[in-house]
Amino acid sequence: MFWHNFKYTLKNLLKNKPLIFWTFAFPLILGNLFFLAFQDIEKKEQLEIFNIAIVEKEKTDHTQILKNAYMTFSEGESELFHIEYVSQEKAEDLLSDKEIIGYVILSENPKVVVSKNGIEETILKTVTESIVEEISLATTIQKEKIIDGLSKPEFDGNIEFLKIQVQKEVEEILKNTTVSLKDNSPTNLSYTMVEFYTLIAMTCLYGGMLTMTSINNNLANMCSTGKRIAVAPTKKRNVIFSSVLASFLVQLLGLALLFIYTIFVLNVDYGNKIFFIFLLSILGSLAGVALGCIIATLLKTNENTKIGILLAVTMSGSFFSGMMGITMKYQIDKNIPIINYLNPANMITDGLYSLYYYQTNTKFYFNVISLLIFSALLIILSIEELRRQKYDSI
Amino acid sequence: MNCIEIKNLTKKYKDVKAVDNLSFEVKEGEILGLLGPNGSGKSTTINCILSLLNYEKGEIKIFNTLMSPTAYEVKKQIGVVFQDVAVFDNLTVYENIDYFCGLYINSKEKRKEYIKDALDLVELNEFTNYYPKQLSGGLLRRLNIACGIAHKPKLIFLDEPTVAVDPQSRNSILEGIKKLRDLGSTIVYTTHYMEEVEILCDRIIILDNGKILATGDKDELKKLAKIEEKVTIEIMDLKKSHIKEIEHFPNVENISYENNTLQIVYKKGKNNVVELLEYLNQNKIKYNKIFSERPSLNDVFLYLTGKELRD
Repeated sequence: MFWHNFKYTLKNLLKNKPLIFWTFAFPLILGNLFFLAFQDIEKKEQLEIFNIAIVEKEKTDHTQILKNAYMTFSEGESELFHIEYVSQEKAEDLLSDKEIIGYVILSENPKVVVSKNGIEETILKTVTESIVEEISLATTIQKEKIIDGLSKPEFDGNIEFLKIQVQKEVEEILKNTTVSLKDNSPTNLSYTMVEFYTLIAMTCLYGGMLTMTSINNNLANMCSTGKRIAVAPTKKRNVIFSSVLASFLVQLLGLALLFIYTIFVLNVDYGNKIFFIFLLSILGSLAGVALGCIIATLLKTNENTKIGILLAVTMSGSFFSGMMGITMKYQIDKNIPIINYLNPANMITDGLYSLYYYQTNTKFYFNVISLLIFSALLIILSIEELRRQKYDSI
Repeated sequence: MNCIEIKNLTKKYKDVKAVDNLSFEVKEGEILGLLGPNGSGKSTTINCILSLLNYEKGEIKIFNTLMSPTAYEVKKQIGVVFQDVAVFDNLTVYENIDYFCGLYINSKEKRKEYIKDALDLVELNEFTNYYPKQLSGGLLRRLNIACGIAHKPKLIFLDEPTVAVDPQSRNSILEGIKKLRDLGSTIVYTTHYMEEVEILCDRIIILDNGKILATGDKDELKKLAKIEEKVTIEIMDLKKSHIKEIEHFPNVENISYENNTLQIVYKKGKNNVVELLEYLNQNKIKYNKIFSERPSLNDVFLYLTGKELRD
C-alpha cells in the first residue's frame, strides 16, 4: 500500500502543471532575476579604500599600541583606509573639506569623530571598538601573568626580566587573535550570495505546497477523492508517510535543478562548503514538506485558506530570519530569540551563514539537528491528528 | 442475515437535525433504496455509516462489527460511489481504477483481472488511456462507479450515481448495478429518482427531514397512497359543468384541470377509463391523448408529506 500510494502521489504531483511551475520553474526565474539585478549593484557597492586621520594628542605606550593596530588596516590585503597623522585642527579642516571620512583622537580612550552616518563611518567605529577591546584583553592577560609569575617559587626577583617574558607571551597570544576582517570562502559572502541563499531557503520551504496538495487529496473534508481514500482500509500513517516521501522527492528534484542551473548556467560560486549547503538544503526541504503537512492536517478549512496560511507562515518566517534585511534577524535573535529557535527559515539561513561566520561547524550542526527535530515533530503530529479523524461536516 | 444494523442514529448540523433517530437494517444480497428529496438526510446517513461523520447518538454495525474509522477489516469489504465524482484529473481512466483498487488489493495480477472486470461492467474498455477531462458526463460517472467497485466489495454504497447523466449512460449504470447484485453484492442505493428505485430496489426506505416516513417493497409502499389509478386526458376547453359531473363519478378521489389536461385520481381501478370515454363521447367532447397509470412512489410521497418528491 505504501509504495502504491507513493507511486500515484508522485504521478499526480509531476502531472500537476501549476505546482511544477512553482517548484521547478519559479526558483529558476527568480535566480535569473537576482543574477541580473544584483550583478551590477554588487560591483557598485564594493568597498573602496577611504581616508582617515589620526590625531596623537599624547605619546604613551598605549597610544603607540593603538597606532600600530590602526596601521595593520592601512596596508597589505586587509587594507581598509589610508591614514594621515595630523593635528586636531588640521583633522577638522580635512573632515569639513570631506578629504577624510573621520578622524581618531588617540588617548587612553580613543575617540572617533565623524561628520555623518554611513557605511565607511560605521566601519571606522567598529574597527576602533575592536582595537580597544583587543588591547583591553591584552592588558588583562598581562596583569594576570605578572601576578602569576610573582607568586611562582622559581621567581628570582628580576621584575624587568619577568615583564619581558610576559610581553613576549602576550604578543604571541595577540598574534593569533589579531583584529582583521576574515574571508572564509573563495569569494566573499556577497550581497548576491545572500540573495541566492535566500532563494535556496525559500525553495526549501515551498516544498510545503507539494505536501499540502498531496495530503489534501487524502482528506475527506477537502475533496471527494479524500472521502474515497478515507473509507478505504488504509492506515493514515502509510498515507502520510508515502505522500510526504513523494512530495519530498519532487521537492529535491526542484532543488537539484536549482543548484545545477545556478552553478553551471549562472556560475554562482557556493564556496568550498557546498556539501554542507546541500545537506542543509535537503533538511530544509524536509522541514518545508513537514510544514505543509501539519497545516494541511491541522486546519479544518478550505484549500485556499490553507495555502494562504502556509504562504503567510513561510513569508513571515523568512522575514524574521532576515531574508528581506539581515537587521531583522539580529533584532529577533536579540529580543525574541524563541521565534527564531522555532522558525524553520531561520534554521536554514542561520545554518548557511554559520558556514561563513564561524570557524567551527557547531552552529551548523545545531541547525541541522533543529531542522530534523522540527520535521519529525510536525510529521508525527500530523499522523496523530489524522489517525482517528471523523468530521462534523464534509 | 443483516449486513448493516443501525439503531437510533441522530446527526445534527448545529441545531438542525439532519438525521433524526434513524433505525433500519440492510439484509445480505438485497438492494435497499434510500429515497427522498434533496436535503432529506440520505447522504448524511451514508457518511455516518461509513464513519466519515461524527454523530450525536446511535449505534452502527456492519457485518456485526461496530463501525469506526479504524475498522479496517470491515472497510475491506465495502465499496463506495459518492455523489461527487471522486477521481484524479491527472491520472488516466486505467490509473484511477488501479489506484483506488490498489487501496484494497495488493496483488498486481489480481488487480489487473479486477480492473478488466470493472471496465467490462461499466463499458469503459475503449477509454482506458483517456483522462477524466476528456470524458463526457455519463462516462465520467461510469468511471466513478468503476473506481468504487473494482475491488469486488460485498457491500456497496451508491450515493446518487446517476445525477446529471444522459439516459443512455443511466441505463448502462442501472444495468451494471443489477449485475453487481447478481454477483452477490449487497447494495445501498440513494436517489431522488423514484423510477430508478422502482426498477432496482428490493426494499425502499422513504426519508424526509432525516426521518423514515415509510419502509417496504414498492407494492407495499404504493398501497399506502390509497389510490389505484390515475387517468390523464388532453381536452381542449372543458367546461366547468363537465368537470363537476366527472367529479361525481364513482371512486374519484381527486380531479384537476390545468393547461388543457384533465387528471383524475381513482381510489379503485376498475373500468374507470371506459366509463370516462363513454361520458366524453355522449357529450361530444373532443379529446386527444389519454393514458392510465398506476400510482407512483411520488404519489406515495405526496400522500405522506403533502409535497412532491422533487420539491
